[in-house]
Amino acid sequence: MADRVERLTNLLALLLETTEPLSLVEIAGALDGQYPATDVARRQAFERDKQALRELGVPIDTEILAGGPYAGQTRYRIDRDKYELTDLDLEPDEMHALQVAVAAVRTGSGTGRSAIWKLGGALDDEQPPVSAHVPDRPELPVIRAAVASRSTIAFGYRGSERHLDPWGLLLRGGFWYVAGFDRDRGEERTFRVDRFDGGASSIVVGPPGEFERPADFDPRSAFPADPKQIGQSPDEAIEATVRIDAGRAAAAVRELGDDRVLHRHDDGSIDVRVPADNIDAFRSWVLGLLEHAVVVDPPELRASIVAWLTAVAAAGSETGR
Amino acid sequence: MSPNRLRTAEERLQRLLVMLPWLMEVGEAPLAEVARRFDMTEADVEKNLELVAMCGLPPFVDEMIDVFVDEGIVYVGVPRLFTRPLRLTSPEAFALLAAGRAAMELPGADRGGPLGRGLVRLEAALDQVGLETSDVTAGVVFDLDRPPLSDDLVELTAQGAEATISYYSPDRDELTTRIIVPRHVFVDGGRWYVVADDARSGARRTFRIDRIEQLSPTGRRVPIEEYVAAPTGFFVDADVPRAVLRLAPAAQWIAEEYPVDSVRPLDDPAGWVEVRLPVTSERWLSRLLIRLGPAAVPVEPSTATDEAASLARRMLAGYD
Repeated sequence: MADRVERLTNLLALLLETTEPLSLVEIAGALDGQYPATDVARRQAFERDKQALRELGVPIDTEILAGGPYAGQTRYRIDRDKYELTDLDLEPDEMHALQVAVAAVRTGSGTGRSAIWKLGGALDDEQPPVSAHVPDRPELPVIRAAVASRSTIAFGYRGSERHLDPWGLLLRGGFWYVAGFDRDRGEERTFRVDRFDGGASSIVVGPPGEFERPADFDPRSAFPADPKQIGQSPDEAIEATVRIDAGRAAAAVRELGDDRVLHRHDDGSIDVRVPADNIDAFRSWVLGLLEHAVVVDPPELRASIVAWLTAVAAAGSETGR
Repeated sequence: MSPNRLRTAEERLQRLLVMLPWLMEVGEAPLAEVARRFDMTEADVEKNLELVAMCGLPPFVDEMIDVFVDEGIVYVGVPRLFTRPLRLTSPEAFALLAAGRAAMELPGADRGGPLGRGLVRLEAALDQVGLETSDVTAGVVFDLDRPPLSDDLVELTAQGAEATISYYSPDRDELTTRIIVPRHVFVDGGRWYVVADDARSGARRTFRIDRIEQLSPTGRRVPIEEYVAAPTGFFVDADVPRAVLRLAPAAQWIAEEYPVDSVRPLDDPAGWVEVRLPVTSERWLSRLLIRLGPAAVPVEPSTATDEAASLARRMLAGYD
């Protein structure tokens, strides 16, 4: 039997060239001897080929004859206008810029590269001095299409079924988030895309036009800039005063910004104001600074850090050092 | 990097469907160039082209795709079929949009330049697969906020310029002065890094840019011989000692934040797991245990609990 690539190529060529939709019997006749002779095996082989071509993005149209001696028979063809890439008329510098972009944004999949090849470009000469690692998730095109068509999506999230009007996607801190209106909770919510249960194929996309998206919605605004602020509304904001020693003061100012500095001491240490609404994020941050940082205020927060450290110290077998 | 072998019939056909329109456009091309451009071995290019040259349907048996290889050159006769590439799939269109929008957030991006214009022209292809781009963010936002020194480092990388840095290492809690030649700047997991030739170790090292306290060019330029790309993954040397920790659900974010060898669920209704992970220094492990508190119980090394306790006592001294 012929190499499968040969059969697939011939099938693709036949369906592109034909002016009339063809039945499987006609296809097998044209591809003489390339499909198995028995009906069942032939149908199985053809279904597998059709699926392979569709997965490559080939639009195969089917029609089922309504009347006549072959009523109920399925026929196939490929509409060349739908198959071929629309010419984008990219200028050479625009093509080059897209190549650089795809070379610089590493996703770990070959999807961007195959897109560049289709546009007639290549990546083999691109050597950008700066790059970004951006995780590729199969859910993203599905969610992005739902954003475009204003379709509510249903998905499993940590074991429960959620319904979301997706407004936009955000990459932050190496993770993809979808922000939108959570129909179950009746409020704006953000979900981490890699925590969806069951992958892209288990996202159920509803009919188009189910919601209005706020004009010029920016997912950044739906998401607190500082993880230490997650989980609270602004009017109940808690702030801590933290003293940072001279060794780490400059780095802390770079991280937090000048406007967070309350006081600069003569020994080079500084007092800074830090959001502490999310106690877990705050504690992890301040403890990560080790002996370079001490919580000054508020007293109950200071006491909770002392209690935490005392518990860790008590777990050891040594006594003092 | 040697090309990946194309394993399945689907992969081979997919590559052919981008290679053939390009060959028909150029008419002829050296086999070596075709192989390099399409990331295949020369033998694979030749084998696949010979195969499609044999494809055919009546009345064009054997001459449907007129392509042959002779003396290391690929020739295309009369282009008939596959003169135009297949349309973009939805994932491909998304990948282009995402790469373009992410690249806009990288140092040196010129928003009004060719990339911005190119993305506008992409709209037609995006519309074809239902990814409209009518709003300013195109529904996809990249937050690649970077430390201020990143832009300087990109500039130095492009010039092959040497610089002195002072670098903070939390593992050893020390500030060192080093002479480096920056070779590549990249962002991964929201953090910015520079790959640089480090004079102190005589090796190529990756530095976190937010830990560079000072940067000043020495004025020396170094000839750039080969291109340095970002590391493909954060692999950790096999010689680095390992720790085994039991983690409550509240502490399991560390399996996403740091490279781990294994995560093993424990037979425990509260959802504790046991992870094995490389540890670059005792201090690093102590710092991690202090941050995790009661949500982590070290199993190995046996000294881990005492080391963390000792560091916690030093920290408590600040509260006296």
